Amino acid sequence: MITDKLIYSSLVRGDSNTSLDLLRKTPFPSRKDEQWKYSPLKKLKKLPFINNSGFSVKSISTLNLPKMNGLILVLENGRVNANLSEFHKINGIKLSFLSSSKENDNPIINSKKENYFSLLNSSYLSEGISIEVGSGFRVQENINIINIVSSNDSLVNTKLDLILSENSSIHIRQYFLAHGKTTNGFINHNNNFIVQNNAALVLDKFQDLKNNFHISNDFIEQEESSKFISNTFSMSGLLTRNDILNNVNGEQCHSELNGIFTPFKNDHIDNHTTINHYFPNCKSYENYKGIMKENGVGVFNGKVIVHENAQKIEAFQQNNNILLNDEASIYSKPELEIYADDVKCSHGSTTGQFDQESIFYLRARGLTLKKAKELMILGFINEVIQKSENSEYIDFILERVLEN
Amino acid sequence: MKELLVEIKDLECKIGDQEILKGVNLKVNKGEVHAIMGPNGSGKSTLSSVLAGNDNYEITEGSISFLGEDITEMSPEERSWKGMFLAFQYPIEIPGVSNINFLRTALNERNKFFGDDPIPAKDFLKMVAEKSGLVGLDNRLKNRSVNEGFSGGEKKRNEIFQMAMLNPKLSILDETDSGLDIDALKTVANGVNKLKSAENATIVITHYQRLLDYIVPDFVHVLNDGKIIKSGDKNLALELEKKGYDWLTGNTTK
Repeated sequence: MITDKLIYSSLVRGDSNTSLDLLRKTPFPSRKDEQWKYSPLKKLKKLPFINNSGFSVKSISTLNLPKMNGLILVLENGRVNANLSEFHKINGIKLSFLSSSKENDNPIINSKKENYFSLLNSSYLSEGISIEVGSGFRVQENINIINIVSSNDSLVNTKLDLILSENSSIHIRQYFLAHGKTTNGFINHNNNFIVQNNAALVLDKFQDLKNNFHISNDFIEQEESSKFISNTFSMSGLLTRNDILNNVNGEQCHSELNGIFTPFKNDHIDNHTTINHYFPNCKSYENYKGIMKENGVGVFNGKVIVHENAQKIEAFQQNNNILLNDEASIYSKPELEIYADDVKCSHGSTTGQFDQESIFYLRARGLTLKKAKELMILGFINEVIQKSENSEYIDFILERVLEN
Repeated sequence: MKELLVEIKDLECKIGDQEILKGVNLKVNKGEVHAIMGPNGSGKSTLSSVLAGNDNYEITEGSISFLGEDITEMSPEERSWKGMFLAFQYPIEIPGVSNINFLRTALNERNKFFGDDPIPAKDFLKMVAEKSGLVGLDNRLKNRSVNEGFSGGEKKRNEIFQMAMLNPKLSILDETDSGLDIDALKTVANGVNKLKSAENATIVITHYQRLLDYIVPDFVHVLNDGKIIKSGDKNLALELEKKGYDWLTGNTTK
């Protein structure tokens, strides 16, 4: 069991004792568990993880990330790497690190997510970032958070707590990366967000953790007339799992979950999402595109629940997949649960291979086989990728997808 | 002396176990228009596909040469770079890829093959404006995804627009008239005629004579059961229109 091998983190305090109690009572998930039916955890369970707080990333440029504007916060092996960070004060933002702040400075968000990994996270937290955006502040600068594991077998528990006060907005970019030849590291992350009345949050997540593990438990609570857009780009990972719970607790909300996942050689990328519509007159859109290559495995399990009295909901959910090889696989499970009677909802899933006639058409016009496939992939993910409005970021994602 | 553009010799091919072409011979010189007609299932579309290099078909016998070079084993893209163009009977929809982006990629891939620089954006756009006028392609279609949601007529116009952009030496028009109303047919034919020169040639594959009123062929060939069974001038097409194919193929309907 993971917990026996670990040293208590200095950050463990406050309610983490209760987390630890809960964690001890929570069995390690297995494939018998419906939530983990398609993703094996055997290897993760067996590994003797350690805490390692050393730094080895020399410069941010070695990470080949797109140009960033705004704050750059770098966490390496669960500790703030101040040399790589670019930090300045932004009007309207209260930002603090759990390691350097007093307990009560932090916005307390009680995540409604309690599962083995979110509890593991709160029990053995390495570092947390808290951001509070003041009422009415529409923050122009991005907050870039780079979360790197650079040491073998290292378990990293990090979290981001974020409160967007009324009428505020912000754009967060998270990068989850494995550095160099690191293997069997594990970034176990929690995102806890509250988006208050009329506030807007855009979250871009980029995940590239070849040969390493990464689980992200995201809890988002939306209040009236708020907007939440999540774009998740998962390039690789021995196991990369995004577990998103989006509770819509107010009318006139807009929620969007978009994703591109591209598992290849030995990768396993799993997207689990739940959107709870508790209030009427809201819209949600979910669109995930998977490109599976070599023996890569993809999972999409999206659930939209329209609760009783949540009338006039429009909820659309879509997952499309391309398998590039015979060895590649995808488990796709779109789910809708509707308890209201006046709603407009749809869900769908497609999986296919490249259409040979389309490839021939492009080649007959002078595109090489490679270019033709690239263009088909671009066409396939275009709809999702255009959700990011920054062209440099779009180019960055396209390049990385095509590299795979 | 006419210059030989393409020569098909004893061409046989199959798909799976099914033989489709059973010994096709055809010579096309620069400046000529050839029509290939024939009943359903005679192998017309297969011939056009094989000429363009579709490797779904296995060539079992014979050869194709283009400007003196044997291209029987050549990839579709290289045939395209060297000047071959196939206008598809059913143009493919490529969602998410804009028409313009696609064409620019196509032109630049060819430039790359010949060691030329990519075409400057300004020149490219000028060319787009000029060539789309030729077939009356609606402006907004240029930026839309390739053929996605296009009407049948728009797809065919788009094919001829692409042909104009690529300026091929040999154009193969596979049933370009199918799905076109008479006005669209005239526009498309007009576009093809404007692109005709002493340096290029056209193979028109069609089921009906109608298209040949607008794109007048120098030669008409009848393909039946994988072979060319009769060749003649444009009057052969008129005769076929009147009598059908049965008098040539030996099938009797009653």
